[in-house]
Amino acid sequence: MQLQLQQLLPVYFDESQRNASEVWRRDLIFSKGEYVKIVAPSGSGKSSLMHFLYGLRNEYSGNIVYNNQDIRNYSAEDFASFRKDHVSIVFQDLRLFPEQTVFENIELKRQLNPFHAAEKIREMAERLGIGNKLSSKSRICSYGEQQRVAIIRALMQPYDFLLLDEPFSHLDDVNSQNAMQLMLEESKLRNAAIIFADLERIDYFPYTRLFHL
Amino acid sequence: MAVSFTPIRSLLQTGTNTSSRWFSYLGLGIGVLLLLCSIQMFINIQQLLGGESPRKEGYDFISISKTITNETMGQREKNLFNENDIKEIAAQPFIQGVSPLVATRFRVELSAGDIIPFSTNMFLESLDNNFIDTVPPNFNWQEGQDYIPIVFSSDFLEIYNVFAPGYGLPQLSEATASQVMVYITCYGENHVQQTFRGSIVALSDRVNSIIVPKNFIDWANKKFGSTSDVKASRLYIKTKDANNPDFLSYLQQKNYKVNKDKTKFGRVKQVLQGIFSGLGIFGLLVVILALMLFSFYLQLMIARSKDNLQLLLMLGYSPNWLSKNVSKQFIPVYILVVVIALGLTEGMQWAFHHFAMFNRPELSSWLHWSVLATSLLLIGLSLITNYRMVKKLLYKLV
Repeated sequence: MQLQLQQLLPVYFDESQRNASEVWRRDLIFSKGEYVKIVAPSGSGKSSLMHFLYGLRNEYSGNIVYNNQDIRNYSAEDFASFRKDHVSIVFQDLRLFPEQTVFENIELKRQLNPFHAAEKIREMAERLGIGNKLSSKSRICSYGEQQRVAIIRALMQPYDFLLLDEPFSHLDDVNSQNAMQLMLEESKLRNAAIIFADLERIDYFPYTRLFHL
Repeated sequence: MAVSFTPIRSLLQTGTNTSSRWFSYLGLGIGVLLLLCSIQMFINIQQLLGGESPRKEGYDFISISKTITNETMGQREKNLFNENDIKEIAAQPFIQGVSPLVATRFRVELSAGDIIPFSTNMFLESLDNNFIDTVPPNFNWQEGQDYIPIVFSSDFLEIYNVFAPGYGLPQLSEATASQVMVYITCYGENHVQQTFRGSIVALSDRVNSIIVPKNFIDWANKKFGSTSDVKASRLYIKTKDANNPDFLSYLQQKNYKVNKDKTKFGRVKQVLQGIFSGLGIFGLLVVILALMLFSFYLQLMIARSKDNLQLLLMLGYSPNWLSKNVSKQFIPVYILVVVIALGLTEGMQWAFHHFAMFNRPELSSWLHWSVLATSLLLIGLSLITNYRMVKKLLYKLV
């Protein structure tokens, strides 16, 4: 399982942005088991990159090839199974169902392709300190709590690549480390890669490769 | 483990627009009811007015004869149709078929044996089977056979029942009339005579005569009669429309007399069928309108739940699976609506048969299978249109 970026560049970027980057307009190959850190200042296209890799947007030139297939050719159904079985994501803007409870939000992802039993939801929630929030509607949770819900949700499915888009922006250091630890354990279980994009370097992510966007 | 739709149901915001949904269900119900009732009534008319057999559909059958005037009274040739007359009539554009009623050219005596002490001079006639409204399969005769099947006019039976008490004869129901064995004696020249057995195999509302198989009349006229050329006093005519002005003026010009009574039935049937066809088409329009209303409701529902649906697709839910399950939500309601309409139609049919038609045997209290088939078709149709609609809208969100 490999994720290849071939001369990738958002169509709305100009030349200057392209030259400074170690990702845009390069040929990169990410493999399972790697921990990739992408340091990206604001406006460098971090979220664009994550959305391209997850197949949410396609305003780019170049190719994204997953498992020798260009994802530009994926059908809607192909993307559904891509996101269900192979790639998981923690969005910067979280994207929870506001009217559903924390538990329901996570369960909606889990039931799609369960990697864990439903009991695991409570266990992980306890571990990240939101065990008492499971039956609260997600819209009344704080950003920090919502961020942890989004992280747990991403860990409910099997995946080869875990995409993290500023996953700790609303968390303190203790909670962030805690969550990072959980994600590392879960990724090890699946022998999966983590592609972690953030504004700056984070010490507790043991990256194997580092890129500046 | 199959993915459950239950947690997703609450993500579809349906609560805010219930009235338009119930209106579309109601509209659908009314439309389906109209459509099913019309189909059933259409079939009832077919069955009541003897339109069962397709060859009689859409045609009027009427008998014509030459008007007997004081001038022509004594002249048999002028009061009978000869072969040229028949050919000329058959050639008219508004006439689809013509068959002479060929009568016996000899004396026939009919007696009912010992059970009913009744005998009378009689006549027998033959007519093309196509022109008889009730032809049972055993209505045929072969040379050497001494049994003759008879198609008897129901009017004649009525007349018999009127005078029978006065003669001390038993009155006969339609069922017993067909069980009475009669003896038909044919008298020819030179004291030739032969007796046949006969029985009524069917009653006819259309043909005012005593009809026996054609080959028997042909054979008997040769054996007992003196002439063999075809001369008929009455002709049966098959026409698309007995009230066609060209047809009527042709008859008038030829001085032919038409049995008008018989054409009325056909007109009534046409008018009734027209009314119910119209009602059926109206019902179909209402069904289409209701389905359209429902599709607006679906569009609104999907537009309102757009964010949730988009997020589901983003999480990896298959758009195809979602479309199937979203449209599946409405299956029970659709089936319920159609079943209620079907139930009401059945009630209507039962009441119509029981109270308006006094349980006439031609009709059934139960619905015709085509009504059931139509309702199944309607359920299928609405589910398919819903599914396609939802799928189209969901793929737009991907």
